[in-house]
Parts: sequence; structure tokens; C-alpha cells
Amino acid sequence: MDQDTRTGSFKPEIVVLCCQHCISPKFDLKSNITDASGLMKLRLEVMPCSSKVETAHLLKIFEQGVDGIEVVVCPVNQCRFLVGSARAKKRIEYARSLLDQIGMGADRIGMDQGKGLKFPQLLELASKRAKTVLSLGPNPMKGGK
Amino acid sequence: MSVKVETRLEQVLANGQFAVTVEVGPPRGPDPEMIQKKAAYLHGIADAYNVTDNQTAVVRMSSIAGSKILLDQGIEPVMQVVCRDRNRIAIQSDLLGANALGIRNCLCLSGDHQSASAGGKLNGHPGAKNVYDIDSIQLLSIVKGLRDDAVQDGGDSISPAASFFIGAAWTPLAVPEDFRIMRLAKKIKAGADFIQTQAVYDIARFAEVVKKAHEQGLTEQVAILPGIIVPRSAGMLKYMNANVPGIEVPDKMISRMKSASDPRAEGIKVAVELVNAVREIPGVRGVHLQAIEAEELLPEVIETAGLLPRPKLEEN
Amino acid sequence: MIVAEQKPILELVNKLRGHKNVLLIGCATCVAECAVGGEREVEILAPALRMAMQVDGNPIQIRTKTLERQCEWEFVEEISDIIPQVDAVLSIACGIGVQAVAERFSEIPVYPGVNTTALAIREEPGLWTVRCAACGDCILDETGGFCPVARCAKSLMNGPCGGTRKDGKCEVDENVDCVWRLIVEKAQSRGTLETLMKIRKTKDWSNSRHGGPKRIVREDLQT
Repeated sequence: MDQDTRTGSFKPEIVVLCCQHCISPKFDLKSNITDASGLMKLRLEVMPCSSKVETAHLLKIFEQGVDGIEVVVCPVNQCRFLVGSARAKKRIEYARSLLDQIGMGADRIGMDQGKGLKFPQLLELASKRAKTVLSLGPNPMKGGK
Repeated sequence: MSVKVETRLEQVLANGQFAVTVEVGPPRGPDPEMIQKKAAYLHGIADAYNVTDNQTAVVRMSSIAGSKILLDQGIEPVMQVVCRDRNRIAIQSDLLGANALGIRNCLCLSGDHQSASAGGKLNGHPGAKNVYDIDSIQLLSIVKGLRDDAVQDGGDSISPAASFFIGAAWTPLAVPEDFRIMRLAKKIKAGADFIQTQAVYDIARFAEVVKKAHEQGLTEQVAILPGIIVPRSAGMLKYMNANVPGIEVPDKMISRMKSASDPRAEGIKVAVELVNAVREIPGVRGVHLQAIEAEELLPEVIETAGLLPRPKLEEN
Repeated sequence: MIVAEQKPILELVNKLRGHKNVLLIGCATCVAECAVGGEREVEILAPALRMAMQVDGNPIQIRTKTLERQCEWEFVEEISDIIPQVDAVLSIACGIGVQAVAERFSEIPVYPGVNTTALAIREEPGLWTVRCAACGDCILDETGGFCPVARCAKSLMNGPCGGTRKDGKCEVDENVDCVWRLIVEKAQSRGTLETLMKIRKTKDWSNSRHGGPKRIVREDLQT
């Protein structure tokens, strides 16, 4: 399962997990979300609250071969469920430490806060994650179990 | 206070004379020479010499061996015994052995937890099993039982009875303060004949506590010897004030050491002043001097404090 | 409850290297309470280990199951049909559970996935602190409900020692209350300080692990 890691042929698969309350009401979630830059393969998943993020869930996404996860949460004092984004933060930290222990690199997953976001901002956050992941190389789980 | 064992320390105290004890730290190695050297320059400056028992949970030559080496040099030891490393079987056995070797003063302590490892400066043995089969107060009772009733903990007899002048530690300024005097009373009840305290720097605070003990008649029942550690630097005082429970150092003393042009000399001056100050406190019957890893400072402190020569006794 | 702590992933990788098919079993009782060995943790550890073994160059198949309690034969029996299909078991139950599985299924290796460390209470989310040392001679009424065996670093019966910090914490751990300070304060508030003047005699440790491997027989319950 040798993957070419450092040349231009690696296009990281990035999943963005975004709390619905971070997204601007003017952004149509059903619109076609593509990354024209060709930097990455992007998938956007919207959550009712970032607290729906569970550590096991994040690890299972990686188990499927995804290279990086970007979680977008509401600012900690603006979560409409009060502690949702605070909990998400803890779980993401835990997932990071596990990825580090596993030897896959903690930076494959990270979190950013935002409000009233539209597609270009989400794309920017995803691209940042993709660039970090480029240096880590493809997920060793690629190519099936 | 009737004399039970006739060690020099006991006799000096029984005579109402101001006793002096010092602390000698054994080496981290098997060579007796280091202790013999210390014995040579410390000869005659104290009535008894404490040998520590793997202090701060660092392995050093045992206190029983160190005590015997001092004895061979004509010096009376106080064997320190901690509860951290040995159970009641081993401790009683060592006490009998100590007596057989001529060691007749002991100091009963619970001992620093094995995580201490010289305050993190050495590897130590933080992974060692915790013994603490008994605590210091139970140990006092045990030594008393061996001496006064010729009986072991658990009821078996020994023959003949053991012979110990029994010491205990006291940290009067540690939290919870109100209870510390009760604990002193408890140690006396358990068998303590003399007390060596945690290092004193704040005379006013110490005097206040001793006064309470004195008012309760405790100073009649036990000889209190305040501990005095010769300061080496302001840093050392600051560290102890912040990190060692029961040690309180007045700010003035710290700044005094800081601005001293000759910290060594200033430290000795401070120690002498402390000795003179504790002598004034009713109920204080002696002093316990320590200079950690610097025992060579002790003769000067003791001499300058006017405590030499040590009293001559009829026998011994 | 019995509490345990996670073993580092690397340690588990070292243990599992060489196996191809492993059954990871959790326990829904004590270790689930301390968030280290329950179903949730199984769901975290299974993908984590699959990925770690992949990175290690030794891909592995992991099946999972969580038993109600691994310390009961009737629940342990539930995995008897899976055992022939795997070459090792990784149990994230406490040491009791690991041994029950190992004893019942002696034909394959059973690895412990956690370190069992204490009998503790969950004081608040994310914080477990020891309460009991299973000394076999409980005197909690004499110490105001605070156990000096488990909660004093020196297990003093006549504490406190001189190591109580200014803020009332234990010299050994700045986050841990000096339990003897708690005992004294409780006695003070109840007006029973005099009871602490009693010299508590040497403890009889023989009814605990110190007396030998424990064996408790209740004839009234034997069949």
C-alpha cells in the first residue's frame, strides 16, 4: 500500500465537521460544494451541535482512510447548547493525543471557531488543514483494511 | 524525670543542663571513613549525634551502621528510625541489634515518603513498595514496651529488656496547628522522653506554641530540643519556607541573608542568634543543630553560642 | 468502584504484534464507570488499535464485544463462540475480569488492556480519587468517615505527620488533601477531638492481602 507521499500526486481527503450554527443562514447547504483549487478532496458534514462529535466517531472516520478532519465549532461562550463546543474541544484534544500515540500525527485533526460562515471561509479552514496534512502524508489506512 | 537508661544525653537533661545534639548524615556509599572523619572534627561539641535513616528516601549507609561507627569513635549516637522501609518485625529486630552494639538513643519517625528522592535531585526509588506497617507513635509505644516491659508488639517477651532513651519529632507549626500540641501529648503518652523539632526560624511563632505546651505541663514530661538548621543562603531559606511543611522563615531573615556580603558567616551568626533565642523560652531544654551536607560549620556555631565545653559527667 | 487507567497504545501494540485476529472485550460495570473499559471505550480503542497496528506494519482484525461484567462466569460464557475464531483476547476490564476470561479460555492468550489501580469514587466528571484500600479491618467511624489507610500516603493510624502543607494538602501530592487534617477538622466540628488522643495500636493487616491470597467462604451460600 505504498503511497506517494511528498510529490504533488497526494490529494488529501479532508472532512469538515461543521456545527450548523456556525454557518451563515445565507449559505445554501445544498449548493454544490467543490474545491476548484484541486488541493484536496473535500466532504462537508453538518452537525446539529459540535457536541455531537464523539472520539470514537472521529477515529472511525480516520479508519476509513480520510487524511484530515477539520471541526468547526461555535465560539465557546456562544454555543446555544451552552457547553457543546467546550465538550467538542475536549474530545478533539483526546482524539489528537490518540492519533499521536497511534503514530499517525495529532495534526490530522484540529478545531476552529467561527460564526456566520459561508463557503469561502469553510474552504479556507479546510485548505489550512489540508496543507498541514500534506506534510504528514496519506493516512496509512488507505486502500481498505 | 528519673533516669532510665543512662545515656549521656539523658543524663545531661536529667541534670537540668542545656543539651546539645547535632545531626550527622551517613554517606551514600559503604566507606566508614567519611563518618570517622566527621566524628573527628565534631568530637566533643555535642551530647549526642543523630544519624539519619535514609533521609528523603535516598539510600545511604544505614543509621544502625552509622551509629555504631560513631560509637567506635567515642561519640554517643542517636539512631533515627523511620517507618517507611521496615515493618514491625524488622524494626524490633534492628532495635535489639542496636542495643547489642551499644546504641541506646533512638529517634522515632514516620519518615519521608519514597517519592521524596532528595526533592527530585536524585533518582531515588520512587517505585519502591510502601511499608509503613506502623506509624511513629506506634513505634514509640513499641520501643517503650521493649524497654519497660521486656515485651514485643504482639506480646512475645524479650530477655533482657531493651535499653533506649526514646526520642520523637515534632512539627509544631504545621497545619492543623491546634492539633499539634495534642499530638505532642500523644507522643509523650506513647513513650517519648525527648523531642527534636522541625527547624525553627520564627522565634515568636515557636515560642507561642511552646508556651501552650508549657502551660499544659508537657515540657515537664518531655525534653524539647528545637531544631536549628544553619542557613547557607537566602535561596535555601526561601525554598524551605515555601516547600517544607512546618518551616516558617520571617521575611527579614531572608533579606538579611540576601544582603549579606559573607553568607557563610552570616548563616553562622543567624544560627547562633536562634540558639540564644530558644534558650530563653521556658520549657526548652536543649537544641538540635543541623548543617545539611556541611557539618563542618557546627563546631563554630556551638562554640560561638557559648555552649562549649560540654558538661563533664560523673560516670561515662 | 474498581478503577483502572488506560495502557499506552504503544504498549498494546507491542503486546498484540504477531496476532492477526483479536477479540477486544469491554466490561459495562466498574471500568465503564471510570471511562476506560466500557462499550464507549471499546468503540474508541478498536479503530485506534487497528490504525496503530497498520502503522506498525502488522495489520490486525479486531472484533469487539462488551460484557455486562467480566467477573461473572455466566457473562464470560457469552464469548465462547467467538473464541475459536480469534488468536488472542485483549480485555479492558479490571484484573479480575482479565483473569476470569483467561481462566475460562485457557487455550489462547489474554492480554490486559488497562492497569487496575484503585478502589475509588468519582468526585466529579473526570476526577476519581481513592477511598478504600481493602485493609480488612474497617475503622471508618473512628476517623470521621475518612480512611487513613487509603488516603494517607503513609497510612498513619495516629496522624498527621509533619508533612501537611500550609494549604492543608499532603506533602506527597499538592492536589491531595491531608486526610488527617480532614479527620482532625471533622472531630473539631463535632467536638470529639479528645477521641483522637487515643493511641491507635498497631494494625492487624492479616485480613488483607498481607495475610496471604484472600479466600472468603460463606457456607450458608454454598450449594
